[in-house]
Amino acid sequence: MKKIFITALVAAAALFAANDASAQGRRGLRLNEVMVTNDSSVVDDYGRRSAWVELFNSTFAPLEISSVFITDDPSDPKKYPVPLGDVNTRIPKRQHVIFWADGEPTKGTFHMNFTLRPGQDNWIGVYDADGKTLIDEVTVPASLAPNTTYARSEDGTGEWEVRDGSEGSHVTPSSANVIRDTNSKVEMFAERDKNGFGMTVMAMAIVFSALLLLSVCFYIISKIGERYSKGNKAKSQGSKLQELSREDRPDSDSGEAIAAIAMALHEHLDAHDRENTVLTINKVRKAYSPWNSKIYNMRQAPRH
Amino acid sequence: MSFGDFLANNLHQFWILTGFHNATWEHFVMLAVGLFFIWLAIKKDFEPMLLVPIGFGILIGNIPFNTTAGLDVGIYEEGSVLNILYNGVSAGWYPPLIFLGIGAMTDFSALIANPKLMLIGAAAQFGIFGAYMVALLLGFTPDQAGAIAIIGGADGPTAIFLSSKLAPNLMGAIAVSAYSYMALVPVIQPPLMRLFTTKNERLIKMKPARAVSQNEKIIFPILGLLLTCFVVPSGIPLLGMLFFGNLLRECGVCTRLAKTASNALTDIVTILLGMTVGASTQASEFLTAQTIGIFALGFMAFIIASSSGVLFVKIFNLFLPKNKKINPLIGNAGVSAVPMSARISNNLGLEYDPSNYLLMHAMGPNVAGVIGSAVAAGVLLGFLA
Repeated sequence: MKKIFITALVAAAALFAANDASAQGRRGLRLNEVMVTNDSSVVDDYGRRSAWVELFNSTFAPLEISSVFITDDPSDPKKYPVPLGDVNTRIPKRQHVIFWADGEPTKGTFHMNFTLRPGQDNWIGVYDADGKTLIDEVTVPASLAPNTTYARSEDGTGEWEVRDGSEGSHVTPSSANVIRDTNSKVEMFAERDKNGFGMTVMAMAIVFSALLLLSVCFYIISKIGERYSKGNKAKSQGSKLQELSREDRPDSDSGEAIAAIAMALHEHLDAHDRENTVLTINKVRKAYSPWNSKIYNMRQAPRH
Repeated sequence: MSFGDFLANNLHQFWILTGFHNATWEHFVMLAVGLFFIWLAIKKDFEPMLLVPIGFGILIGNIPFNTTAGLDVGIYEEGSVLNILYNGVSAGWYPPLIFLGIGAMTDFSALIANPKLMLIGAAAQFGIFGAYMVALLLGFTPDQAGAIAIIGGADGPTAIFLSSKLAPNLMGAIAVSAYSYMALVPVIQPPLMRLFTTKNERLIKMKPARAVSQNEKIIFPILGLLLTCFVVPSGIPLLGMLFFGNLLRECGVCTRLAKTASNALTDIVTILLGMTVGASTQASEFLTAQTIGIFALGFMAFIIASSSGVLFVKIFNLFLPKNKKINPLIGNAGVSAVPMSARISNNLGLEYDPSNYLLMHAMGPNVAGVIGSAVAAGVLLGFLA
């Protein structure tokens, strides 16, 4: 009964963890950039320009967004369900996808059933598959000019800002809001720590502290363990624990002497540390099976 | 077209595909390197488990063939058999599996019994960062310098893991360099140990380590994982697998799993890792001035690492009571070439005092070196990736 209970508990925990992991993935979906009036920006598969909403997978794993809801109406969270069965709804890690707000969902998976209203505040929300959990939302200001976007300063994070296409304020449909062509960390080290001294000091400090921490913890644990095992041994032998004073200890111990003393103690007290003992019992038996029986493998002698 | 022309044309096409037609002098240099590694392993017994697969891998990777023919046989041709096997190196999942095996076959008792020895493992990581500074001076970028410097950790899997993340184009040279120096530990370390120690120091006898209870052995991998990975989460793949393997070994209820991890699994991954690393050293990628620089830096990193371990013990001894001094001959074992460098400590100790067995004492810093180099790799990955 107890075993069944534990198994059920573990299974429930695993199920909960799996659900949670999936939800955690979906929670990484972000509204990233929005264009309300599109006169000269990107065109859709039909060669038409419409308002668009860019979503970004901020996680480091592919994210399946089918059955997620996108809406422009807080009172109708299930307004546009991202359809099932389209391989393109699986967004690779740290990648973007554009949904067209053209009110024509029959044109494909990425065409939503609502449009955005120029000159008005546009609230956009993304809900999880349950239609209740709000994953992300943004209110695009009414003042947003045509062909400009309302975008996050960095993909998936950062403050929302207006982007008008000028230098340093690019409109970036389906691509990163900040385009990087180098590894900023490496650049920073190359610029600020040319001789590597800073890295050496920091890294060695970290390595030392990690091992020092481990060392201190085990020093404490070993002291506790030592006291505990001494106490136990003394208790099991029915004798009182008494340590030799420093003066009473021999100045030098040869290995042979220690071995002889240990053997004598072993014989006398039968007190020794826990040892790894492996007892192997091999059952030697030739069980009968038709598969190893010779009579089935050999041709029968013909009868005369 | 006559039948004779037909035969001649086809034979000519076949000739174009052969190694003889496509061979360059670089191929022969690399083939000679491969043969040298195999010779070292078989005749000189230098880390044969590593050098035979790597040496033969070099032969496999340097058979000349027509790369424009689309034969799908080269290690860098997507979808080829070698390329599929190489994924474990390029995506970095062989090294954690090796670490699982190392954890499952390593007894951390020496370290648990004498936790201060862990600091020697930390000190030896100076080799990594000394080489990092020199690599920057030689004009390598910080990420390349980090990948090269990890050779000083004397840990092949860690070097492969880190270089696959920071400098994939240098991985072949870094891996071969790391394993070569690991094989040369018995040649490189003893002169340094003699140079930095006095005769009296070499005669220091250390107290035998106390017996460690099973509970302590079980707590060690759990606490070790939590403490080190909380400090350096980027070390999770290596440290996680190392401590997991050790828990399998010590918990006493997963003997079958521990045996598989330490024997069959490690053997399989070692074969694949060694062979594919060797095969990745294609002449066109390997024979460059950078490779010579990497070998030189690796050598220097190894020397700094071994020396700093020994010197650290000498400094540490200044603060220890007379009866608790550490023999500086175990300082070299701070590099994580397990158990080779610990054996060197033991052999050198016995050379000066036939009754002074240092092996178990040296195993402490040796396994601490494994943890230390994984932490150092995590730090470099965290800063530079």
